[in-house]
Amino acid sequence: MKVRKIVFRILALAILIGIAAVMFVIGRGHTIYFDNKTLEAEDGTVYKPYYKIDVLVNGEKVAKLGEEDRGMVSTMGQKFSMELHITPKKDSKKVGSAVKLEIPYNMDGIILNLPALLNGAAEDVYMDEFIPAVVEETGDEEEVPAGDEFEMPMGDA
Amino acid sequence: MKKKKFDFRAALRRSSVPLMFIIICAICIPLSGLSANMLANEIVTRMGRNAFLILSLLIPIMAGMGLNFGMTLGAMAGQIGLILASDWQIVGVPGMVLAMILSIPISVLLGLFCGKILNMAKGREMITSYIMSFFINGVYQLVVLYMMGSVIPIKHTSIKLPRGYGIRNTVSLLNMRQKLDNLIPFSVKLPFFGEIRIPLMTFIIIALMCLVIVWFRRTKLGQDMRAVGQDMEVARDAGINVERTRIVAIVISTVLAGFGMIIYLQNMGNIATYSSHSQIGMFCIAALLVGGASVDKASIGNVFLGVILFHLMFIVAPRAGAAITGDSMIGEYFRVFVSYAVITVALVMYETNKRRAKSAEGKKLAEAQKGEG
Repeated sequence: MKVRKIVFRILALAILIGIAAVMFVIGRGHTIYFDNKTLEAEDGTVYKPYYKIDVLVNGEKVAKLGEEDRGMVSTMGQKFSMELHITPKKDSKKVGSAVKLEIPYNMDGIILNLPALLNGAAEDVYMDEFIPAVVEETGDEEEVPAGDEFEMPMGDA
Repeated sequence: MKKKKFDFRAALRRSSVPLMFIIICAICIPLSGLSANMLANEIVTRMGRNAFLILSLLIPIMAGMGLNFGMTLGAMAGQIGLILASDWQIVGVPGMVLAMILSIPISVLLGLFCGKILNMAKGREMITSYIMSFFINGVYQLVVLYMMGSVIPIKHTSIKLPRGYGIRNTVSLLNMRQKLDNLIPFSVKLPFFGEIRIPLMTFIIIALMCLVIVWFRRTKLGQDMRAVGQDMEVARDAGINVERTRIVAIVISTVLAGFGMIIYLQNMGNIATYSSHSQIGMFCIAALLVGGASVDKASIGNVFLGVILFHLMFIVAPRAGAAITGDSMIGEYFRVFVSYAVITVALVMYETNKRRAKSAEGKKLAEAQKGEG
């Protein structure tokens, strides 16, 4: 009886750890930044921006990029797919392109240079980690009371 | 078999709190000037937000431990889970599930501790759990304000205080905000109320929780809890491990409160790190009591009636206050005053009934002794 109990407990624990591990993988959030900017690769290749790029994720337009523009979208998981509607030059026709990417787990923010990506550049050329600028904060902390209306301005009582 | 006579006065006394709230709401709704559509949408949202938390109070009541003010402990565990999930950038429903899993060991430990202390303070569980929530709040602040970032790794500056350790006053849950509520988009159009958005997935989880509670009452452990709740000595004589049963009740309640807090906060979209949990126990208990529950008896029906009436009052009171006095703060103070008042009334009624029952028992005993003599 006791052995059975222990086995059930270990099994329950294993299931919970398993679910947590799955959540770690499928729930990892990333912010993807799309750049339609000029990029000069280390080998000297220059990728010039397109006139206009519309970025669609799950059928929804998330960014409309002109030359030297940046857009962004929040995504979940390591697989990312998007649809790009590209207008190469001012009077040219729109061209559609579907892109599927594997996103590195360790990166919170990822910059994708779309001209480099669309011209078949290597991953380390079109993909870069987004590192937010460090903003010097003065003071200890902002006082932002947030929550339900349960909190009343009644002191600490 | 003798048919039990319906005691109108007793029934009226039992439902006096819900009736009072129905009257308050009936007066305040027209004064507030809010549309039926807005009221219905607000109530549905708040039901999804709060019902799970209030359901977590039912099991300790069943075990005769009264209103579990210690549910705050579970709420703290839920918040710690959410802070960690946010820092690890696990978003959406997976982030919530991870936070729930992370909260379980913390809730279990806190529940065990709380249960053990409450076993030492039998008969004074409510005040003990209330004070305990203050004590654990201190420990929570120590962990969140000093250990997170220094001992427990916290990576993101959006969560960490500028000094390098400790968590900010507000943690954004934008990546989780209403993800569960909107997982299955659903709305209904009703003739008088118009279009009402239903957080279907949250409601499904609440419904499942209700079914689990109904099932749990019929299990051996559930029956033991009811027996312990009715009479501890009789239960002990029947071979039930009273202390263990009471601890299990508190552990279950704490774990469920942790889950409830996560559901609550995903709806709100942010954590007020140092204050979200502090009032939640009080307001959940008030809502349950408004639904007609008492210290020793509560049902699933009380939970839903309580959420509707209590939150209806919460929504309409400031506007009604503004309409009557020209100052919406009057309404704000009124609703907080009513929340505390309803808990006080319930506790006074419970104590009065207990004393009345005790004196009736004493009278019976005296009469029996007289008869023998």
